[in-house]
Amino acid sequence: MSQTSSPIIEVKNLVVEYGQGSKRIRAVDGISFEIYPGECVGFVGVNGAGKSTTIKTLMGFIFPTSGSARLFGLAAGAVESRKRIGYLPEVALYYPFMKGRELLELYGGLHGLTPQELRRRIPALFEELGLKGKEEVLLRNYSKGMQQRLGIAQAIIADPELLIFDELSSGLDPVGRFDMRSVLLRLKERGRTIFFSSHELTEVENLCDRVIIIHQGRIVTQAPVHELLKPLNIFELTFSLPNGKEPPQPLANHQLEKTGDLYRVTIRDVEEYAKAVTELISAGARIVTTNSKTQSLEDFFINLIQAKRS
Amino acid sequence: MRAIWLIARSVLLEAVRRKEIYAIVLISCLIIAGIMSIDFFGLRGLTKFYCEVSLQVMSTAAALTTIALAARQLPREFEARTIYPLLAKPVSRMSFILGKLLGVMLAAAFCFALFMAIYIGGTIYMGGRISPLLILQYVYLQLLGLLILATLAFCLSLWLNFDAAMTIGAVLYFAASIIMTSISYLYDFVGSVGKLVLKASLYGLPQLRLVDLSEKVVHSDVWSPIPAWAIAALTCYAFVYSGLYLALAYISFRRKPL
Repeated sequence: MSQTSSPIIEVKNLVVEYGQGSKRIRAVDGISFEIYPGECVGFVGVNGAGKSTTIKTLMGFIFPTSGSARLFGLAAGAVESRKRIGYLPEVALYYPFMKGRELLELYGGLHGLTPQELRRRIPALFEELGLKGKEEVLLRNYSKGMQQRLGIAQAIIADPELLIFDELSSGLDPVGRFDMRSVLLRLKERGRTIFFSSHELTEVENLCDRVIIIHQGRIVTQAPVHELLKPLNIFELTFSLPNGKEPPQPLANHQLEKTGDLYRVTIRDVEEYAKAVTELISAGARIVTTNSKTQSLEDFFINLIQAKRS
Repeated sequence: MRAIWLIARSVLLEAVRRKEIYAIVLISCLIIAGIMSIDFFGLRGLTKFYCEVSLQVMSTAAALTTIALAARQLPREFEARTIYPLLAKPVSRMSFILGKLLGVMLAAAFCFALFMAIYIGGTIYMGGRISPLLILQYVYLQLLGLLILATLAFCLSLWLNFDAAMTIGAVLYFAASIIMTSISYLYDFVGSVGKLVLKASLYGLPQLRLVDLSEKVVHSDVWSPIPAWAIAALTCYAFVYSGLYLALAYISFRRKPL
């Protein structure tokens, strides 16, 4: 991730409205965010929050009512910018009359790959996505999970710099989700920029550097995952000290209580917690109990949305 | 250009794999075979009757096939959501429409080629006369007519669903085929509003009879091929109408939210 370079995705005060007159709905309500090269960013929200609308606007399928969305410095939807993007739609349906190989030849060809490149790339993708042996099968005979895998194959066929996935794990079983995570990790390691929406918050937590949470068309928070969860983590230590000894100085920065001979300290950062344990041991303290309460992104998200609703 | 060709190839692949074209050709063949078997008590001149009816059946079947193929391309892409991964690639909306149109025209040409092979075979079998140049002119002008119909169906399919676009496309096809012959009879018998409607229809609808050389093909013993200037003029006429419908389709599709 390099925030010193120009953003790959730049969304400014984006408003998208649907419908006419009294039935007009504001699906996206003035959101702004930026995504930098090499970042993996999760886009999270409940159904109808505005995730797919935002992604469709980025792809140029729908047009902003006001504000702007730019990719690689060009207006969303520009053909030039789409040369550098791989996209997986929310509902992946492909031509049922085509075979798997033919579909990838079509999409790869549209991306500008030569027939030689296609001949080399397509078998590798079928192998990587667990579809080996299905190259000559008509897509009408593919299961939903297989179609989703093929959808990912068409998105990455030209090895684009930016990947935009709308509902990455939709239709996948646990094994499929695991495989997709592996594919995403490999892409991340290769420095690809990834922006994806998902209801699988464990996946977002494990893969993403940053998360953007959208609710009722507005961004309610955007931050690195560990920064979001840091204030919610609680580590408790109960210890006693040799007679006359005071707790080491670094512990004074944390919430410290004394009950009889026992001290209890509450620490919110895992690194601070490790440091405190080392300090206490070198001060000759006897650690009586340790207790940790960590929250997942899912806990955080549910609490946040419930708070917003109430 | 490559994007247009790749999209066109996928349309052609669908038309061939769905086997609709073969079904239409088969049904038309059955009708034509029925006509060939009519003896009419040994009356002479049945070859011309066969030629006339065959060309009419083939022309109508090819026109309706083209309308159906063209009318379903865009609505089906929207309904099945296959348009999203396609337009996520570096393909402009104009290339997308042109690719679809080229695909429909290739499928229509394939269908028409099958019909013509049957027609020529049947005519030779019946002992009829074939004028190769006139046949070529007939095929060329028929394809121009199909181009007009395809662009018209594209245009309709951007405002209507498949069923409605198909139905209205078919109605306009029959209207366009009929108006040319009936307009001069009707014109003197209608009021000022009627005259306006007839004039609007005359210019708004393509006159498909202009690109129909079937009667000349049937009576090729007395008709010679039409001059090159007439072919050029009809080509311009067809390009103006198809260009107009294509432009309308593009204007509608250019900023259409998907």
